[in-house]
Amino acid sequence: MKTLSLISTIIAGAFLIYGSMDMPHWGDPYSPASTHVSPYYLRNSLKDTATPNVVTSVLADYRGYDTLGETTVIFTAGMGCLLLLKKRRKK
Amino acid sequence: MIPTFNFILILFLFVCAIAAITIRDLLSAVLVLGAYSFFMCLLWAQMTAVDVAFTEASVSAGIGTVLFIGAVSRTERRSKD
Amino acid sequence: MFESLLHHYNYWMFIGLMMIGFYAMMAKKNLIKKIIGMNIFQSAIILFFISTSVKGGGVTVPILEHPEGAQGGFVDVMKYANPLPHVLMLTAIVVMVATLGVALAVVMMIYKRYHTLEEDEIALIRRKQGLKC
Repeated sequence: MKTLSLISTIIAGAFLIYGSMDMPHWGDPYSPASTHVSPYYLRNSLKDTATPNVVTSVLADYRGYDTLGETTVIFTAGMGCLLLLKKRRKK
Repeated sequence: MIPTFNFILILFLFVCAIAAITIRDLLSAVLVLGAYSFFMCLLWAQMTAVDVAFTEASVSAGIGTVLFIGAVSRTERRSKD
Repeated sequence: MFESLLHHYNYWMFIGLMMIGFYAMMAKKNLIKKIIGMNIFQSAIILFFISTSVKGGGVTVPILEHPEGAQGGFVDVMKYANPLPHVLMLTAIVVMVATLGVALAVVMMIYKRYHTLEEDEIALIRRKQGLKC
């Protein structure tokens, strides 16, 4: 079992390393992730939300529904923990 | 982004990760995992992601370690592997 | 080859961390050890996403300098790190702790019923009771 999981781990790692060859160079300022949406947020966040911290303005203002969904996840997890750990009454 | 500092931090991360999954005493393993989370937080602060860094320091290294210690103290501390 | 190593070594480091967590999730028999492996795995993935936001050389945190002066003016985008992966991973860290809490609650219920945390011992007890495992 241990050798089987080791072999499958190494196979998964080899595939990921093969895939990482096509990634942009690390720290490249013109990589697709840094040139597509985020310049809009950096340019307009002060004008739109009057907040110098871009991360919080995107988190709470541009993508507020995302944060609402996250709060739902935390609420569901807390309810799950309470239901699992409550003391059951003996019948 | 300083390459040598980055490399040293990632080396510490590797040491902490391997120690956390090989130590047989579960309480020690959980505390080493807390150290892993703090090194991760340092690495993110160094990658200019400060909001993520202090969220990690408070949530994952703080509350996560507390939850782990609570669970280990209510179950057993020894493990076979 | 050496140039590729210089530009991609950090991706390979994250893949190594992810492999450690993956191995712990599959090969370790103790349930708490499996959860520790899951935590390492998730942290490695989040580290990968954060590292896509790095821009090399003289880049500061994504908090705008001189907010009064930049009002309506030009913001130099290349001076600040990419804020979007930070936002998404902030959500992912909180979800990580939520899954950790539920997993530890399930492990405590398993311990209450079988009085052990080892996977093979639980399978043995279930087989003795005539249950499927």
